Amino acid sequence: MSEMIIQTNGLTKKYRGRAAVNQLNLEIKQGDIYGFLGPNGAGKTTTIRMLLGLIKPTSGSISIFGRDLRKDKLSILKRIGSLVEYPSYYGHLNAVDNLEALRRILNVPKSRIDEVLEIVSLTSEARRPVKGYSLGMRQRLGIAASLLGNPELLILDEPTNGLDPSGIHEIRELIKNMPEQYGITVLVSSHLLSEIEQMAGTVGIIREGQMVFQDTIANLQQKSVHHIKLVVSEPESALWIARDLGSTGSLQENTLVFPNMQDAKIATLVRRLVENGHDIYRVEQEKKSLEDIFMQVIGEGV
Amino acid sequence: MMLRSLSADFLKIRGKGIWLLIFLAPLGVVGIEALNFGLRFDYLVGKQYADNLWDGLIKETSVFVPISLYLGCTLVSSLIANVEHQLSSWKQLLALPISRTAVFSAKFTLCVLLLAVSCIVLSIGTIILGMSLGFGTAMPWKDLLTMGYFPFLASLPVLSLQLWLSLSFQNQTFPVSLGVLISLVSPFFMQLSEWFPLNWPLMAFHSEHQLWFIGFGIGVGIIIMLIGLVHFNRKDVD
Repeated sequence: MSEMIIQTNGLTKKYRGRAAVNQLNLEIKQGDIYGFLGPNGAGKTTTIRMLLGLIKPTSGSISIFGRDLRKDKLSILKRIGSLVEYPSYYGHLNAVDNLEALRRILNVPKSRIDEVLEIVSLTSEARRPVKGYSLGMRQRLGIAASLLGNPELLILDEPTNGLDPSGIHEIRELIKNMPEQYGITVLVSSHLLSEIEQMAGTVGIIREGQMVFQDTIANLQQKSVHHIKLVVSEPESALWIARDLGSTGSLQENTLVFPNMQDAKIATLVRRLVENGHDIYRVEQEKKSLEDIFMQVIGEGV
Repeated sequence: MMLRSLSADFLKIRGKGIWLLIFLAPLGVVGIEALNFGLRFDYLVGKQYADNLWDGLIKETSVFVPISLYLGCTLVSSLIANVEHQLSSWKQLLALPISRTAVFSAKFTLCVLLLAVSCIVLSIGTIILGMSLGFGTAMPWKDLLTMGYFPFLASLPVLSLQLWLSLSFQNQTFPVSLGVLISLVSPFFMQLSEWFPLNWPLMAFHSEHQLWFIGFGIGVGIIIMLIGLVHFNRKDVD
């Protein structure tokens, strides 16, 4: 098992008795892009703020890089870059001065400012006041700021929120490259699975403060219920044959629908139908999109 | 670590009009005195302070110093806090590998340094005014230099309080209103005991026990600063 970069244990944050985050066990592997998903208000931002030491957990523990956040907060934060919700910047300063204000605290060489501006392709706009930046440019500046301290872990909260498709694409490409090019582990949150699925290796889905799913994207796909659809010449008698074989299906607009049917059973059913003189026009699998699966996971009761 | 944060703070206040305030405010006080002496030149210079013109100028000016200091503490604290509030930069700043103590002390130090600059400007401005009114060069150096600093040290409790409030509230209406109120009502408490805290800045310059008032100012100022610091260290950042 590879080393866990972030591990939380029973992490809970209560506001006036109501748990915004409840018994959360987050596990993020080194070199992974971890997609942290959930509807608005599910507790993503609260969790991320706790990971960054901005708010204190009511109970539970956080271990980052194998160390306790409560004890080694500063040495842990030194290795993390973050962007929480909307990027913070000082509008009256230009991009270089914005980064300089952070650089003075981080104490990294001045050349690092040019490097991070290069990474997010803002070099040509570096001397303009940030006030005049588009949302996408601000977001890229936010990512540049988070990279300034040469982090090993990047925590990005809704980095694509409010961006247009091309902006989303740019940010996604940037994030995708982090583990390969710079060896950075990434935690990226979003309320849209479609934004995450193309870059994340692992996803954690949170709902009403509780983790409802935490595994790889591939395993999330398997969680879905696949339907097998058959279009045959005499659907009603075919349904009875299927029932004889132990598969209960339903007839929907002259199409036989079987939920979650195994390959072997499909083969047997098709053979039997052919033997009984049915004409088979189509056998198809109805694949659910990840978005459907996401809704299914979120919709499931506790 | 505090120094690194302070140097970042100096960069952040660039172009926010804070430096303008730091220079204009004491010059405003000097301007009032220029007007005062200009309009009543015959009375003030000819009769009232004929024996000791410099002392007269300092005395007239020093009445305005506490009010200006209270206003200065309020506005400087609020402007500095607002740099971070405006685009909710706290979450970014405090997620950096820097202790909250360092961040808080850097902001406090910044306020003290800026207001200290104002005090120097006040002294220099007053000297220039006196010279141009033809008071000569035999001036009371000690009083001219301390007319800003002693009251400033005695008003540290208000600075600590204002900075704490300004950093705590996202909306600056309450801290600024309170600060303006303090400065506006402060002259009316003159009748009360000289030990009433709002009278300390005036007494730190005029009283025979000025060192006591300065000492109290610094002491109480540090205590309130520490309370604010503890709160700042513990609070959740939204």
